[in-house]
Formats: sequence, structure tokens, C-alpha cells
Amino acid sequence: MADAFRRAESGTQLLARLEGRSSLKNLEPYLFAEEASPVHGDVIEFHGPEGTGKTEMLYHLIARCIIPKSSGGLEVEVMFIDTDYHFDMLRLVTILENRLAQRTEEMIKQCLGRLFLVNCNTSTQLLLTLYSLENMFCTHPSLCLLILDSISAFYWIDRSNGGESLNLQEMNLKKCANFLEKLVREHHLALFATTQTLMQKSTNSAESFFPLKLQHETDTDYRPYLCKSWQQMVTHRIFFSKQCNSGNSKGFTVISCHLKRNHVVKCSFSVAECGVQF
Amino acid sequence: MVVLRAGLCPGLTEEMIQLLRANGIRTVVDFVSSDLEDIAQKCSLSYKALVAVRRVLLAQFSAFPTNGADLYEELKSSTAILPTGSPSLDQLLDSGLYTGEVTELMGAPGSGKTQVCLGIAASVSLGLKQHVLFLDSTGGFTASRLYQILRARAEDGEEQLEALQRIQVVRVFNIYEMLSALQELRDRLSQQVVSSMGPLKIVVIDSVSAVIYPLLGGKHSEGLAIMMQLARELKTLAKEFSIAVVVTNQATRESSTGPLKPALGRSWSFVPSTRVLLESKEATWEKATTQRVASLAKSSRQPTGIQVELDIGNGDVQELSPATPAQGL
Repeated sequence: MADAFRRAESGTQLLARLEGRSSLKNLEPYLFAEEASPVHGDVIEFHGPEGTGKTEMLYHLIARCIIPKSSGGLEVEVMFIDTDYHFDMLRLVTILENRLAQRTEEMIKQCLGRLFLVNCNTSTQLLLTLYSLENMFCTHPSLCLLILDSISAFYWIDRSNGGESLNLQEMNLKKCANFLEKLVREHHLALFATTQTLMQKSTNSAESFFPLKLQHETDTDYRPYLCKSWQQMVTHRIFFSKQCNSGNSKGFTVISCHLKRNHVVKCSFSVAECGVQF
Repeated sequence: MVVLRAGLCPGLTEEMIQLLRANGIRTVVDFVSSDLEDIAQKCSLSYKALVAVRRVLLAQFSAFPTNGADLYEELKSSTAILPTGSPSLDQLLDSGLYTGEVTELMGAPGSGKTQVCLGIAASVSLGLKQHVLFLDSTGGFTASRLYQILRARAEDGEEQLEALQRIQVVRVFNIYEMLSALQELRDRLSQQVVSSMGPLKIVVIDSVSAVIYPLLGGKHSEGLAIMMQLARELKTLAKEFSIAVVVTNQATRESSTGPLKPALGRSWSFVPSTRVLLESKEATWEKATTQRVASLAKSSRQPTGIQVELDIGNGDVQELSPATPAQGL
């Protein structure tokens, strides 16, 4: 009897895989160095200090996904995990209203019906929530985008709870990262996660992350502080910064790096009522 | 880290716990992340029973996803926008203080943060007839100044008295007192006790940097962890009970000529959804002026950098009276 149960479970997964997840290739061409990105299995990290547009970019991606094909969207479902109560539904609705052809309540509700939101309060709850969401990915084949805002929200609290042992401090995040990798791989998802710039860039060049050629090109304020398991599973890292020039274009810049192939692409955007505009 | 114990969920018996413990499974996380078939064999327990327990534990300890459309419906009915008492400040904040969010007022000492907070408390209590919780950690709250503001806005003595009664002031001078005052508020709101404390829509904290500064530095990460706990508590209060939270913070500069930025460091800077910078107007230093400039430093709804002028003088925070320094400034 146990065998039959097991077969049924993997049957659902198989079905989900056979039906296939929709392609996310045209999600946002400006953000990626290659032509056909993101593909399933990609883990993209948004990194930047506060006020640089990371959350706005997430709203832009969500809008692109949940808007129906007739209005130019991808019509896929999105799962948004919010760890610091940052998500502003009213802002998302404003963006949707500006992008939809018909701005009726019906249309907006239909779009929002493709978005799922979860709030997590501790890293343990995040881990357990990921386990319970696994079922949801099986039953919703059109759910192909997973967004985690932000994965660094519990950093200080975990560090303090773990005491002196680095292992204990990072344990929860390591387990989350490992399970996320399994979810993304098995269910063919794309994962977008934001991390906050909590640390100042180290002045020690030996610790530098980029090879020397790119270092003066990208003066990013990046200092890795999350656990190794997370850093190793990231395939794209996108740095956000704000242009402080006194010119009239109050713009933001993104520098997008494909970590395996070392491709770097840079572009800027501004934020208007309708969201991100490149 | 919840440890497994008998009765945690139906189906989790004492003998099951002993068998699990013998195989190194002590907490809920261990149980959920392990391979159930493996355990069924090692502990000789029923696979079906284990699966049932796992399902119940997950339902109990993990968060439940909501649909965007349902959340939007809920927000439409529960979100309110509270007036600050100053029309130009309301304009800066896109019509007022939104419930469900943390708004930060930052500025150098004497820039008018406490005055604006008093104005907000007066406006919500008098105009909306809602209760206000004012957590004072600097000793800057003066009831006489509040009364002066109320007198300027309402003629009727009865009304002024009622408005005063709706504002509850708690003096907290360290982080633990603040956390416990917030916990008390949470308990009261969860029980929905209709006591002398009516519907509460706003919590004003003046100031948050005063209780956190002593924690930072020294044993570095512990202080930061407590600060993030406070941040989390404020945000969950705001979201769960649809309250507007207003906090005040100091402003610092990186160098003597750099731009002003909020105190308490990078980690705190991510916490508020909206940030307003209060500064004195450049002009004259000979006479004390009540003119201030408020600029929007962070917002998810409006472009940053817009500025308005405020007058924090005598009663009304808008009335342009000749320079009479406000009491308690």
C-alpha cells in the first residue's frame, strides 16, 4: 500500500513535468546578458542598498507575468514569499492599472488571481513553508516563477541565535538554500531572490569577488555575507544602484552578471507611475 | 526550533517520539526534512501514520499562502489613510499616513520631529476620534503643548478633553520596556477588549534611535539582532492589525559635507516604507524660526525629493504666525 501511495505522488510530479512550465524567455530582456534568459533552473539574485529599485523591479516582473497574453503579458502564476512585510499590494495594483488595456476591477482581480503571497516570520518558518509549498508546485503547472523578498531578512537574528558557532548561525539558511535548489530543479522554476547590502565592501582586494578585469568597471558595493550554499547556487547576480547625479534623470542602474560565463551587461531605468521603464 | 513532544499534534504518541529520538530526530524541522520511507523502516513505524503527522505539522508550523485577489479585497476594506494635521505634509505622503506601513521622520535635533508627532496625534484623536498610542523615549512629550495644539483646532472644551483622553502616553526608556509595551498592545488588540481603549489606528514612537543607540557597537550582532526584532514587531503590528506606525529617527552624515542619511545604519534603513526628512529652513539664524522643510527621502508611491514647507509653530501646524518659538522645542 505504501508503494501505491508513492507511485501516485511521483505521478503528479511527472504529469507536471510533461505538461511543461511555460517559457520565461521574454520576461525582461534588459536584465539579462544572454538572449534567452531566464531559463528554468536559473537562480537570480537582486542585490543593492535600500531605495535602489529592487522591489520595484520585482513588481515589474510580477506584472509581466500575471497580465494576460492579450495585453502583452506571459499569463503565468507567481509565488511571492515575503519575509519582511515589504510587499505593497496597492502599488502593484497601480502598476497593473497602468499597464492593462481594460482597467476594470474584473480584469485586475483576474490578474491578481495568478499571484500567491506568503509571509514568513523566522527562518525556521521559511524552511517549513518551503516544504509545504512543494505540494502547490505539483498541483499548479502554470506556477513557474518563485520570488523571495528577501532572503537576507533573518541574517542578524539568526546570527545572534546561533551564538559563537558559524555553522549554527548559517544552518537554517543553508537548509533553505538546499531545499530551494531542489525545488527549482525538480519543478523547473526560476527563482528571483533579493538580498540587502548589509555590509560595507571590504577594502581587501584579496577578498574581491570579481576577476581583476571587471573590478574597475563595476564599482559595486558587494560583499558576500550569506552562506556558501546560497552563493554557489546563484546563476545571475544583478546589482542595483542609484544614480546620484544632479541631472534631471533620477535614474537607477542595473549591472547584470552571469556568473558562470562572466558576461556583464549594464543598463539604466527609471520608475514612473506605471512601474519600471527602461 | 520546536522540539517534538507527545501531543504536539494528533497521532504523535510518546512511543513514536522515543523511536524517532533514537534515530536522531528531535525537532519538527528534522522530521519534516527527513525521508519518511527511511524512517518507517528504521523505526518500524507505519509510513501512512508518518505521512499524516508530517502533513499536520506542516499545516501547523508553516505559513499559508493567500491568493492575490483575496488579499486585495481585504486590503481595500481595511486600509485607511490618516491625516497628519498638516495639508502640505499630507500631500507629501500621498494624502496621509497609510495603515499597514511604518513611516519614519528623520531630522537633526530641533528639526521639529516631536512637534510633528504631536500634531499627528492631535489630528487623529480630534479629527478621526480614534485612539492613539504614543511611546515616548526621550521625555520630549509635553501634555501642555498637546493641549495648546488641540485648543487651536477645536473650540469646544468637551471635545478637547475627549481628544486628550484618547491619546495614551507610555514612557519607555530602554528597548525592553519598548518591546514590552508593544507586546501589551498586541495582546490588547488580539483580545479585542472593548475597554477604555477604543479602536486604535496609529502608534507614534518618539524616538526609536534613543532606545537603540545604546545597543549598537560593542557586542555587535546582538544589538543588531534586537533592533531587527523591534523592526519585525513594528511591521507585523502594522500589517496584522492595520495600524499606521510612525517612528522618529536621528539623521547623520558620513562626512561633514555629505548628504544627510538616517541614523541606525544600513540594516534599519530597509525597515520603513516611507521616510521624510525634516530640516530647518536655510534662512536666518538670528531669530528662532518655526519654519521647516520636509522632503520625501523614500517612498513606494511618489518620486523622492519633493519638498514642502511646514510651520510647526503655535497651534495649527500650517498657520503662518510670526516667529514665536514653540514651547518644548
